[in-house]
Amino acid sequence: MLDSALFLTRLDFAWITTMHILYPPLTIGLSLLLFFSEWRWLRTDDEHWYRLTRFFEKLFILNFGAGVATGVTMEMAFGILFGPFSQAAGPFMGNILGYETITAFMYEAGFIGLMIFGWGKIGKKMHLFATFNVMISSSLSALWILDANSWMQTPTGVYVHNGTFMVNDWFSAILNPDFLRAFPHMWVAALELALFYVAAVCAWYLLKGQHVKMFQRALLYSILAAVIVAPLQIYIGDELGRVVAEDQPAALAAMEGHFNTYNPDGSVNTGWHIVAWPNDAAGKNDWAITIPHVLSLLETHTLDGKVIGLDQFKPADRPPVLIPFYAFRVMVAIGFALFLVALWGAWLAVRGRLSIERIVEQKWFLRTIILSAFLPYLAIWTGWWTREIARQPWVVYGLMTTAEGASKMSVTMAAVWFIGFMIFEIGVWLGTWYFFAKVIRKGPDMESPIVQGGHETLGTVHRAEDDTQPAYVRPTF
Amino acid sequence: MDALTPIQQELSFIWWIALGLSFMLYIILDGSDLGAGIFSLFVRDEDERGAIMAAMAGTWDANETWLVVAGGIIFGSFPLVYGSAFHYLMLPLMLTLLSIILRAVALEFRVHSDFSKRFWDWCFGIASLTVTFFAGMGLGGLLQGFPLTAGPVPTYAGGALNFFSLFSLWIGVAAVIAAALAGGIFLRVRFERHTELYHAAQKWVDVMFYLALAAVLITLVWSYFKLPWASAKWTGPHWWAWWLLGAAVVFCAVRMRMASIKQHDMSAMLWLSATIIIMWGGMMATMYPWLVPDTWTIYSGANPSNSLVAFTLAVGGFIPVMIMYNWYQIWVFRGRITKLAAYEHH
Repeated sequence: MLDSALFLTRLDFAWITTMHILYPPLTIGLSLLLFFSEWRWLRTDDEHWYRLTRFFEKLFILNFGAGVATGVTMEMAFGILFGPFSQAAGPFMGNILGYETITAFMYEAGFIGLMIFGWGKIGKKMHLFATFNVMISSSLSALWILDANSWMQTPTGVYVHNGTFMVNDWFSAILNPDFLRAFPHMWVAALELALFYVAAVCAWYLLKGQHVKMFQRALLYSILAAVIVAPLQIYIGDELGRVVAEDQPAALAAMEGHFNTYNPDGSVNTGWHIVAWPNDAAGKNDWAITIPHVLSLLETHTLDGKVIGLDQFKPADRPPVLIPFYAFRVMVAIGFALFLVALWGAWLAVRGRLSIERIVEQKWFLRTIILSAFLPYLAIWTGWWTREIARQPWVVYGLMTTAEGASKMSVTMAAVWFIGFMIFEIGVWLGTWYFFAKVIRKGPDMESPIVQGGHETLGTVHRAEDDTQPAYVRPTF
Repeated sequence: MDALTPIQQELSFIWWIALGLSFMLYIILDGSDLGAGIFSLFVRDEDERGAIMAAMAGTWDANETWLVVAGGIIFGSFPLVYGSAFHYLMLPLMLTLLSIILRAVALEFRVHSDFSKRFWDWCFGIASLTVTFFAGMGLGGLLQGFPLTAGPVPTYAGGALNFFSLFSLWIGVAAVIAAALAGGIFLRVRFERHTELYHAAQKWVDVMFYLALAAVLITLVWSYFKLPWASAKWTGPHWWAWWLLGAAVVFCAVRMRMASIKQHDMSAMLWLSATIIIMWGGMMATMYPWLVPDTWTIYSGANPSNSLVAFTLAVGGFIPVMIMYNWYQIWVFRGRITKLAAYEHH
């Protein structure tokens, strides 16, 4: 099974994807929150919204730079590490990634420069428009990327001809069953990550008692939004799990460590394992703590529904169980934990404990918020690991195996690649967090004059400095 | 492989043009940024190095995006070429990508650093140099062509070091020289005329101009002897057209030199761009119908599915739009700067 060059190629790809997914979700979620705060600033003219926008933009651009740096690699890596797969799946995958590049990435790069460096150079409304476009384009980019990956999970709308996948139905290929659930799941994950990230930064200042008025409001908004977003994410995740159960039974069986479809006595096996030690070679769990009926409830919403187990597949077609099983459980646990944290915040807010006067006393709550900012990252990682490893041995589910799709690399080359990207991407990651910490320690800039880009708000009255100046200046458009 | 329908043939041709356009925009736009990075290796003053980065702060990322767009077009329109050529160029591409990573983070991190500015300056300069060199080397490797396996979907057959030859090494060096020239001219457009940096860039351009001239001549002569498909075309029935093209290049280069001497910076930049456009167009015309010489033609490497039509319908309209907002962005950040322009004013 372990062809070392193939294993290394997969490891190389796993590494660069794992290190890339650390950045885009924050870009996607944070751009949404930045648009919100900038919009509030224009509507209310409240200085705090402006300061918050400018401050979080600094963190945003650091994160974005790291995302671009690691992301350019991704686009080339398909062809480099999985050449045969890129050729065969090119008619669909190539198009979708091409859409992503052109309709999302380029679009985003075009406006991000204006958003970060355009303060004072372009009008306020134009600036808000730039932020709006950054928000839309980063979400679009998630949409296309998820579409490409979902198609690998549920490859509809294609037929195989001369060794390539020819697309015969674009709509069914783009709107494949997995995509309709997986994209919302990823997008909401990005939003949830950004909410907890922002809340954690606010909490850090509140613990130190700095800029309480500004950060109290930002924290309150984020937590209240999380109260809605966190349960929504759990619901979408459950929906996605049912799609996986229908379309990728082997993947689901691996996620749940579900080896036997039937019990020894012939009845349907409905047991759900809380924890287990799967043994791939023997085709069973060495030990497990099991609750009956729960698995069927989860996947079929009936008490005794049949859930296909791994024994229905040839040993060669079975995914490894250990990583999907535990990664999946970690992800779900984090989903619920974040919901509980959000509920705690809502409970405190309802009881008036999060008011400007009293919020700084809630030390344990603030500390919990700071710690929970790291959980969404782990959840996104484990979610992707589950998704990709449970799809094995297929690269395009049921149509092309990973071994067929990988480039034939020498072990040396694969190892050189791995070491090179390991050093660089760990460096990028440490650098990003080091400078995050630095920007946060420095704190928001409350001193600089607020920029007056191009246009002033309507009907601004200038107080006359002396009699030579007219007291009222008509706004210019 | 099945033959393409006439409409698919036309679309493949259009996408080949679009691909050439993206690469050309990348070379013109990011070439200036990369060259400015190479120039910064020779700048002693820390603030000046910071100002060089500030000069591209608002635009580098959009300029670099044209490379990603080119990658997207290869994957979308020519998946067979993408899967095999990238596999063949694994090593130079890997080094290019690592350099791009380093350069991007150096641009982002330098602003926030207090003690490590020096380190990030080095990273930025060195990475600018290596991006240019290895990308040029990849292009050189591509011009030589590569072996393919037999079978319904031919893929790359060969080792990771096949791309390496004296020729591809030289193309890498030539790319560095060309970028260095573009970088000098770009900095003269971006900086106030009374600054020291402006004068340093002026001297730099004077030297690089002659180096670039020599590099172009060497490349042409070498290609003539090394690449049979090129020499066959240049001496074929349309030999006079190539001479006309050469005359146009010489004309643009002379105009650039004159503008540069007169300190007409913007016009020098435009003449340089015109020179690059003509040369790049000449290279594409020489290669036609090969996309990768002696390996893939535009039509054999094209997307065999009907998806080219879908791709064209969905994306074709976006390219002019992208050019428009890239232009708007460059326009917004057109003002000249001095070394006081710190990157952190955002």
